Amino acid sequence: MENQEKQFRLNITRKHFLTKAGLGIGSAALGSMLFKDQLFGSDVQSSMPLGLAQFAPKAKRIIYLFQNGAPSQLETFDHKPLLNKMHGEELPASIRMGQRLTGMTANQEKFPLVGSSFGFAQHGQSGAWISELFPNMASIADDLCIIKTMNTEAINHDPALTFFQTGAQQGNRPSMGAWMSYGLGSENSNLPSFCVLLSRGRGNGQGVYSKLWTNGFLDSLHQGVVFSSGEDPVLYLNNPEGHDRQSRRDMLDQLSKFNAEAFENVGDPEINARIQQYEMSYRMQSAVPELTDLSKESDNTIKMYGPDCLVPGTYAANCLLARKLSESGVRFVQLYHQGWDTHGNLANDMRMQAEDVDRASAGLIKDLKQRGLLDETLVIWGGEFGRTNYCQGKIDPVNYGRDHHPKCFSIWMAGGGVKPGMVYGETDEFGYNIVKDPVSVHDFHATVLHLMGINHEQLTYRHLGRRYRLTDIAGQVVNSIIA
Amino acid sequence: MSRHFSLVSNTIIVLQVFMLIFGVFDLSALPEWILFGGKFHPLLLHLPVTMILLLIPLAFMANRDSQSQVLQSIFKYTLLYTTLFATLAAIGGLLLASSGDYAQDTLTVHKWLGISLALLTHLLLYAREWIIAKKTTGQLALLSSAVIMIAGSHFGGSLTHGEDFLAWGKEEELATSFPVLTDSTTVFDGAIQPVVAAKCATCHNNKKMKGGLDMSSFAAWQKGGKTGASWVSGSPDSSLLMARILLAMDDKKHMPPSGKAQLTANEILLFREWIRLGADNQLAFHALQDTDTLKQLIVQVASTGTPAKQAKQYNFSGASQSTIDGLNTPFRRILPLAYNSPALGVKFFLKEKFTPDMLDACSAIKEQVVEVNLSNMPADDKLLNTMGMFKNLEKLNLNGTSITGKTLGTLADCKHLEQLSLAGTAVDMNALQPLTAISSLKKVFLWNTKITDQDIVALQKQYPQISWDLGYVPDKNELLKLTPPYPANRDKRILEPGEPVTLKHPLPGVKIRYTLDGSNPDTTNGKVFEGPIPAKGLTRILSVATASGWISSNISDQTFFMKGIKVDSVSLLNPPDPKYRKFGSNALIDEIKGEAGNFGMNWLGFKDQTFKAAFHLNGTKAITQVLLSLADNTGSYIFPPTQIVVKAGNDRNQLKVIGKLSPEMPKSDRSNAVIPYLVDIIPGNYRYFEIEAVNIQKLPSWHRGKGEKGWVFVDEVFFY
Repeated sequence: MENQEKQFRLNITRKHFLTKAGLGIGSAALGSMLFKDQLFGSDVQSSMPLGLAQFAPKAKRIIYLFQNGAPSQLETFDHKPLLNKMHGEELPASIRMGQRLTGMTANQEKFPLVGSSFGFAQHGQSGAWISELFPNMASIADDLCIIKTMNTEAINHDPALTFFQTGAQQGNRPSMGAWMSYGLGSENSNLPSFCVLLSRGRGNGQGVYSKLWTNGFLDSLHQGVVFSSGEDPVLYLNNPEGHDRQSRRDMLDQLSKFNAEAFENVGDPEINARIQQYEMSYRMQSAVPELTDLSKESDNTIKMYGPDCLVPGTYAANCLLARKLSESGVRFVQLYHQGWDTHGNLANDMRMQAEDVDRASAGLIKDLKQRGLLDETLVIWGGEFGRTNYCQGKIDPVNYGRDHHPKCFSIWMAGGGVKPGMVYGETDEFGYNIVKDPVSVHDFHATVLHLMGINHEQLTYRHLGRRYRLTDIAGQVVNSIIA
Repeated sequence: MSRHFSLVSNTIIVLQVFMLIFGVFDLSALPEWILFGGKFHPLLLHLPVTMILLLIPLAFMANRDSQSQVLQSIFKYTLLYTTLFATLAAIGGLLLASSGDYAQDTLTVHKWLGISLALLTHLLLYAREWIIAKKTTGQLALLSSAVIMIAGSHFGGSLTHGEDFLAWGKEEELATSFPVLTDSTTVFDGAIQPVVAAKCATCHNNKKMKGGLDMSSFAAWQKGGKTGASWVSGSPDSSLLMARILLAMDDKKHMPPSGKAQLTANEILLFREWIRLGADNQLAFHALQDTDTLKQLIVQVASTGTPAKQAKQYNFSGASQSTIDGLNTPFRRILPLAYNSPALGVKFFLKEKFTPDMLDACSAIKEQVVEVNLSNMPADDKLLNTMGMFKNLEKLNLNGTSITGKTLGTLADCKHLEQLSLAGTAVDMNALQPLTAISSLKKVFLWNTKITDQDIVALQKQYPQISWDLGYVPDKNELLKLTPPYPANRDKRILEPGEPVTLKHPLPGVKIRYTLDGSNPDTTNGKVFEGPIPAKGLTRILSVATASGWISSNISDQTFFMKGIKVDSVSLLNPPDPKYRKFGSNALIDEIKGEAGNFGMNWLGFKDQTFKAAFHLNGTKAITQVLLSLADNTGSYIFPPTQIVVKAGNDRNQLKVIGKLSPEMPKSDRSNAVIPYLVDIIPGNYRYFEIEAVNIQKLPSWHRGKGEKGWVFVDEVFFY
């Protein structure tokens, strides 16, 4: 059939990956009757992702609470009393070692160290140091795995965010969520497998762009679907006036016939993606109202996430929605909360940002846990880089700022097969360099994929003559944090 | 006897003498060009194999028709050449074997079988007439040579294709598999040997010893190969193993050879570190410090090669894919727990599509189902009666279902049930009793049920083998702050005359108190919002949410504008800053109010020049007031204008000043407010207006930008 040739040329989809991965896993598996249709099936449905981990996954779903703008590690999880002792003194050259700075502070004459203006205390059996800004997160310290030694190659927001989300700084590569959707597929075909929720804090904000949730070179089925921050999270979901559900169905049936015909003629896999997206939208008409109905949430839920959770578009509301989406089988829910870019006014901005996220982040963990879902859901909290231990601009007795610092910063993970109640890695006394157990962004990706049951070296996609991975050509699984 | 026959048979005699000599002596000293002949062994050996098999029917036919000279002759010459080729094949084999790459035991058997076959066929050549004459014994003699040939072939095959080539049911293991590292695991067994087994020992084993090296056991490997010992203990840089591994890929001595699975960077480092520490096969994993490079490498290698922890093994077989496909719908999803795992999870979606028979239908896969997720489905007590069919069920999620728990006892049939989620259901203490009989049960989730914290204490005490999880219980002493009230239609700031405003709060039971006079509403005695507030002209509503058990909200400050007289057209006389002019001059009269803080949207921003715009009305109605809505955010250098000047008239070129306003300047920081400036004008039916708002030219001394120019941001101008 001539169409086969077109399929061969254009339709390098997930089947392609499975075929290749299958070789690695063992040729016996390939021939297995069990997955015969999934590997070689040819109808429209079977090019939908199938949801198979390569080996026993720890986590089935991910909720990534991205703190956009880069929260300071020195006011969150990396307690450095030395900075308070040496407050105002110059950062020793032996610590800085001439490392790269941003254009914003590179020309500063002095680099005065500045200590956190917030107190720290140890929490939980792990004795993790957590800033007083986050009392609710501190209350679940024994569920968290805090990594203090994240480090990245990028020093400015956009490349750093892009690197964190796609494994490369330049953009145009698929986002983590898209890789997950490609590798594992959807659990619930009535909802997108990769959803994006945006919120904005009151601190100094940095933008988010659709390239952060792009499907890159993968099929556009895997693209992140942004939910609106208004009262209707998904717009245009209701039938237009005068059209009932049956007439929608009839219209879609006809349309999909036309599209199927177009696919026969042209062979562009994007047409199949479009057919499937129409079908999903039709089912979303039922699935989304179930999710966004907050009227059945108990008073306790509201107290757990904080009263903001009832106000659409807030971080708390997004956390609650993320739980509901995840519970309903969405593989990857990506939140972005803007406003952490504290070049100045740090004390005030951090306080406001922490108010927005502390209760809701902790509430999400508690909520997943009490439903028996935390062990299969990986929650990640963190920004794109850290902040400097020296002050940006002049030190003011009541105020200070911190510039971008890619050499070390803190994030946490919880649930999904990560060791609970653990602090991983050590930074030096100045909070500038890593002393022990560094975790690069590639390592982070490799570990997250591992938890989802995917070998990061085998999740590949052939594009422009070479195979691409989320971890590019690097990445080591951080075994020490895996339960 | 023909000349041809005698020439060939004499050659055979000479060759067989050589064959016997070669069979006894070490041939590796021979010149390379002779040894090269050995490469033809795999080609030559097929000739005697086929020909011996051919001889049997030929002898049979010649025996049946003993008068036929043609048949006799064919048999004779076939046997002649069989002998020649058998001899040549044997010589070739002996030359090939001299490379020493093969397992000696198997090789010896193969060698002597090959030589015997050549000798036997030679013998038969001389006894050929006897074979044809003696029907039975002749055939037996031929058959015996066939048997020797087959046996020889088998051992030969074992040498080249591997020992297990003919064995049944042996699947090839392609990936390196690492054992679970325990305290007693040695570094050799735990990390070195698995890598060697996967990537080296397929060629270097006790059967197929390429380069004379056998790596299938530590003892054999320690002996080294033809080129010498594999390593020098403690000195990886002088070790042959490292040298071969590190040679360039295109070097023919590089190991593993190109085309075979290569060692990863970490595996190379692993060998290096192990040799550096003495290449000791007794070195225990636990004896290494955590900081030790070798230990870190092992941890990394043993996990990136293949997952150290494999899927849980189940002793039932997988369901057929067609059965699974038949059950999969968008509303019932069945997925294996992992690739190639027979265990299945079933999950249901969309309440409105759920029917109880959707679970019954899963009886086709009842053996394989280990997880069932019915969360938020309208599943009732009756449905649990069918749950017992899932004998291997481990995890059951009933969160948010309609069950009361009366029938939880039926779960006793699920002997492997480990986790049960009952959050958000009506279960009570009585319902939980039967669960305690399930010995495999480890966790029960009970948040948002009738179970109280005292119940949990009792349960935990009585049945400590199960973890009873009550989840989040709010701290009664912790008061949280309510969110502020908001207008029902958030986007609607511009109202028709007389259109009412409704205030809302998402939390049921909250009281909203408000004022219309710009004063702060009192949280205990303030006017309570009970119904829509009619807006009259410019309306400012300050409101606060209050409820018992909560801290009152911050004050919500909302300003509403009334629609004015329609403007026919508007044009800007001074251009706005290029960054803040997204919707152009039309933004001023589009009846969409810009939001405080979102200056990229409906606003126009001015800094280098003043705000100055011309408006054209039809002049049928008298105008008495002009309202400018401006933004205020001193932190972003946005200040009130120093002066607002309104000019008007019916001749575009002769406008007169008909109103002025000089707003008060802030004395300290103000943020994100929308402030309306109402200018009373000399009333009249004007058709042309020109309005100017002068941005502050020098910021006050208290501001961090003192002396610089400030901004003025405008959105929406109303004429009343």
